Amino acid sequence: MNTNQQLEHIALLAEVDDLTYRLKRWIDDCPAWQTAHKSRALITRLLERVETLRFRLETPLVVATFGGTGTGKSSLVNALVGTEVTTAGRQRPTTKTPILLVHPELEPEALGLDLSQFQLKRVDAPVLRDIVMIDCPDPDTSEGPSAGSNLAILREIVPHCDVLIYTSTQQKYKNARVIDELADVASGCRLVFVQTHADLDSDIRDDWKNFLSPSYEVPEMFFVDSGKALSEQKAEQRPSGEFGRLLNLLSSELGAAKRVEIRRANLIDLLQEALVACRSDYDTGLPHVESLIKTLDEQRKVLKDTLTKQLCDELLMNRTLWERRLLSSVTDMWGFSPFSAVLKLYNGLGAFIASFTFFRARTSAQMALIGAVQGARWMKSRAKEQEAESTLDRLSTFGISDQQLQECRLVISGHIHAAGIDYAMAEDRRDLTDLRKRAASLEDEFLGDASRVIDDVIEKLAAASSNWFTRCRYEFLFLAYLIFLLGRVGYNFFWESFLAPIFGAASSPEPLLKVDFYIPALLFLVIWSLFLVSMFTWKLRRGLTQRVQNFAQQMAESRLVHGLFPNLEATCRHISGDSQTLTGLLDQTTQFRRNIADTSSGFLGGRRET
Amino acid sequence: MTSDQELQSSFQKIADATQLAFQAIRKLQAKAQFLQPSPLDGQEWYELLRQKLVPQLGGDPWLVAAVVGGTNIGKSVVFNHLAGCRASSSSPLASGTKHPVCLVPSGFEKRHDLQSIFPDFKLHEWSVASSALEESADHDLFWRSAPELPSTLLILDTPDIDSDARVNWVRADAVRRSADVLVAVLTQQKYNDAAVKEFFRKAAAEDKAILVVFNQCLLPEDEEFWPIWLKTFCSETGVNPDAVYIAPNDRRAAEALTLPFYDRPWPVPDDWGPTSPAADGQPRDLRTDLSNLRFKEIRLRTLKGSLKQLLDSSTGAPSHLKHLQRASEELAAASERLSSEAVLKIRDWPSPPNASFVAEIRCWWKARQQGWAKKVNSFYDTIGAGVAWPFKKARDAIQGEPIPPLDKYRESEWTAILTTIEELFDKLQWMADSGNRMVKPKIEEVLQASGRSQLIESLKRHHSAVDFEAELKDTVASEMESFSSDSPELFKFYRQLHNVSAAVRPMTSVVLFSLGMGPASETVAPFVADAAANAAIHVFTDVAGGTVAAVAGDTALSGAAGTGSGMLQAWFHRLHSVFTQRRVDWLTNLIREELLGDLPEQMKSAAELPQSDEFVTTADAIKTLNSLVEELDTNRIPQ
Repeated sequence: MNTNQQLEHIALLAEVDDLTYRLKRWIDDCPAWQTAHKSRALITRLLERVETLRFRLETPLVVATFGGTGTGKSSLVNALVGTEVTTAGRQRPTTKTPILLVHPELEPEALGLDLSQFQLKRVDAPVLRDIVMIDCPDPDTSEGPSAGSNLAILREIVPHCDVLIYTSTQQKYKNARVIDELADVASGCRLVFVQTHADLDSDIRDDWKNFLSPSYEVPEMFFVDSGKALSEQKAEQRPSGEFGRLLNLLSSELGAAKRVEIRRANLIDLLQEALVACRSDYDTGLPHVESLIKTLDEQRKVLKDTLTKQLCDELLMNRTLWERRLLSSVTDMWGFSPFSAVLKLYNGLGAFIASFTFFRARTSAQMALIGAVQGARWMKSRAKEQEAESTLDRLSTFGISDQQLQECRLVISGHIHAAGIDYAMAEDRRDLTDLRKRAASLEDEFLGDASRVIDDVIEKLAAASSNWFTRCRYEFLFLAYLIFLLGRVGYNFFWESFLAPIFGAASSPEPLLKVDFYIPALLFLVIWSLFLVSMFTWKLRRGLTQRVQNFAQQMAESRLVHGLFPNLEATCRHISGDSQTLTGLLDQTTQFRRNIADTSSGFLGGRRET
Repeated sequence: MTSDQELQSSFQKIADATQLAFQAIRKLQAKAQFLQPSPLDGQEWYELLRQKLVPQLGGDPWLVAAVVGGTNIGKSVVFNHLAGCRASSSSPLASGTKHPVCLVPSGFEKRHDLQSIFPDFKLHEWSVASSALEESADHDLFWRSAPELPSTLLILDTPDIDSDARVNWVRADAVRRSADVLVAVLTQQKYNDAAVKEFFRKAAAEDKAILVVFNQCLLPEDEEFWPIWLKTFCSETGVNPDAVYIAPNDRRAAEALTLPFYDRPWPVPDDWGPTSPAADGQPRDLRTDLSNLRFKEIRLRTLKGSLKQLLDSSTGAPSHLKHLQRASEELAAASERLSSEAVLKIRDWPSPPNASFVAEIRCWWKARQQGWAKKVNSFYDTIGAGVAWPFKKARDAIQGEPIPPLDKYRESEWTAILTTIEELFDKLQWMADSGNRMVKPKIEEVLQASGRSQLIESLKRHHSAVDFEAELKDTVASEMESFSSDSPELFKFYRQLHNVSAAVRPMTSVVLFSLGMGPASETVAPFVADAAANAAIHVFTDVAGGTVAAVAGDTALSGAAGTGSGMLQAWFHRLHSVFTQRRVDWLTNLIREELLGDLPEQMKSAAELPQSDEFVTTADAIKTLNSLVEELDTNRIPQ
């Protein structure tokens, strides 16, 4: 083998290596799914053969005869090597022990065959320079593959063959047993089609070809008379006709240069067929997984709807909290002004009082209302103290009931079993702890979303209720009283009690206003500001129901990222991804197979792509 | 003469018995569906019964001869020689003949119903030879009148028995079963083919008359080989040929219908050699030889051969029955295991609320009181209610409206139901995984994942429709009735009603599948109504705390001296048990309606198949047939 050829071999092998690498990666990344395990077992076994391809680089191709009894396998072998090396007879079956024909210069041990199975013959025939030949027993006289039967022997040999010479006759070309056996062994072999008994039978090659073409590539068929060819060679003549052509092709086209190419093509055929089988396994298994995914989605939606509904109900019940949030955001917006100062004061007092209740009453709706920032801070401090307990407590007062969890588990476990996914549900049916924890964290996630939405709603509501017109009105009304009060006090202070006597407008200074005045003045200030504040908050609260409904709508459109069974969901996603990878691999292999088929030599047939 | 008549009458008896057996077997098969028996169609003995024995036993005898063999070895050529014309198309391409062609003696079709002779085929009158070559999904048979045939001989050309068109095999098998004489066309290439050997092994077992034709021989070279070939063929298949012919490989003569058939002796005499005088004799006319066969004898022989196949203890109808019986026993064993292991133990079914019971009992009591006592009672009740009213209002205002105890009970019962259903699915899954092959698919059907959410929905619907008030009322009414007739201490009992603190959790078990064996039959509690005892699902309840408590309760109840709080407690336990029993019964019935369907009954009936009428009838029919055939064997006067 020269350097150029070696380089070529390496290039050929490199392509296979790339595919092997991708296949191995696919095998390693296995989702917990029965179908995936099964498929990987199949491909792993096949990849072992890739290794033998590497070892068998140097050894000649193994060419074996294959065909029904009496179709002239032995006669053909005799004619090919030009002398009677194997008995061709009229009794059926004639050949029982396979005969291995090798060139005298070849070491048969290097072939990797179990030589004890064969009757070894060394023949110095030109056709054996680059190949070894096996005369196989027939597949159609044995009624089953019992030990020692021709069929069992044949099945032992064929996996080691690279090229099969498939012989048939007018009587046998549609023999079901031979066809079935061929279908089993043909993957991973190149095929040469030969009709024998040209001396006696009619030419049925066209019908034969039509018959085979649905499942086999049939580039060429040879119609040979082995008896005549043998006697021609004995008479030192070159064999004529179709036989001569066949002999030429076998001698010249299966040389060292073609070895790797042919073996690679065989291997790719096998891989591609195995991947097709895997794909169809996946296709039968996937609908179950998809229905599991669908059910998980549905459940997630149901859970979310439950949570939303519950939250809305609670939100409507916690009006004071709403008010406080709204007020603080309005005052934030207004900055400093007399009325906003009043609002702030009111709100601050309210918050001070409410802060006690926050620590006690801690329903989820209140949590959401307190707001994302405050809530998180509050949660953190609480979490340190009583993490598990608090979430679980919260859960029991809110949202997802144990019964709902149980229903979910019941439905999902059926789907898991149908889909064949390895996923352990809780051992004890009464133990819902895990699910409860999941539900609690699900709820946290939901509340996180909800808080953001609520913040948004509050922002909008606050903006709507605090336009400049409203603000002016309230500021004016509040100021009006203040001005009146200041006017009264100022009038008394400056004029009545001081300036009026000086200017002679009054005889004596009026006394300064007494506490008797200030108490009712303050009282009325408080009443007035309370009145205004409640007017304002009443206005704020108006449309709250409407807003909460909007909120529910908004939440309904959002989506929970995780469900009750996050691992299961991950597995499902993994399976979907895995299936896509498989399709990719299959496509690549199929493409590879096609490319190879384009370049493979003309007379070798093979199994068609499925 | 008398022996002939006797023979006739005994055959008539056999014909009748065969008809009976045929009907019985079909009925049995329909009944045994649950056991997934191997289908009758395709079983050799059944096909013989249907295709050969039922149509051909009884009536006047005729003979069916068929040309059979592998593809492309000249069956149609041989057939055309028999017909004397190109009745069947031949071509160099393989598996040409797709449908049988039949030569019928003239007038035969008027005397006999051809359709019943070939029950599997659609009959067509022959018009052109090529129609038998056309592919069609139907099994067609083309028949043609042949005046030159003896009036009781039918000759058929058949499709091949070894090509990849497996439907041809089915047709060839059907023809083989109907046939009495097979003209076996063999060649050097195919005499030892597995498919060919399998076919003729069956023919030999049915005791067909077989004429071997070795076609496409190289003469004279093959004269020394054919005895070897035939010997292999005979030893592999068990065929004992009635005649042997060899024909040369002469395509032209074959086309011209002038192929010579040389007869050869079989078994080959010791002194026979390729040059023996018989070897170069004159060719024979196959049709004449066929016409000269001893029809009656062959017919008798093949009918008996088929009957023997039918009655064969290892491959015939008896073995089918044996299989059914074994499957049934297997199922019975499995069911027994299931009924002992697949028991749902419902541990935490909620206890019904005591307060509601007490209220209900008072109510019952009130309805029963008369006259003065009633007035006093209602007076006190009114006073009591009046006094309690403000307190009640205050409590409601402080604690909120209390949840009615029955609503609470409904809630917790739903939890219990869910747990039960979950456990049920687990059990069913276990049964599907570990159960036998017959149970598995049925249970898997029940377990279908998509059905679960619907099941929950419909259970929920049913559950929310239950009127617990009425349930309670019924329970109390029936129990109080029996109690008041048993015990004279009613008043004492009533007085102590407020002392009742019974809170027991009745333990309930549901036996999903029962054949009347296993724990169910022993423990089906006395509460269970008669109807339930016969059903395949059993429920039985026991008071948690074990049998001791229950027994103590029973004695306390039955003893006339049983008084005081002990009795009351026991009685309340009983009330709880009965109520729980009713509820679980309700659930079980619902599960059965919504989920299991008639699966338990089906299993039961399948497990009891060997005792069924259908099975017994079939077994009897086979037995009768067997003894008739044996009788025929022993009484037959040797000829």
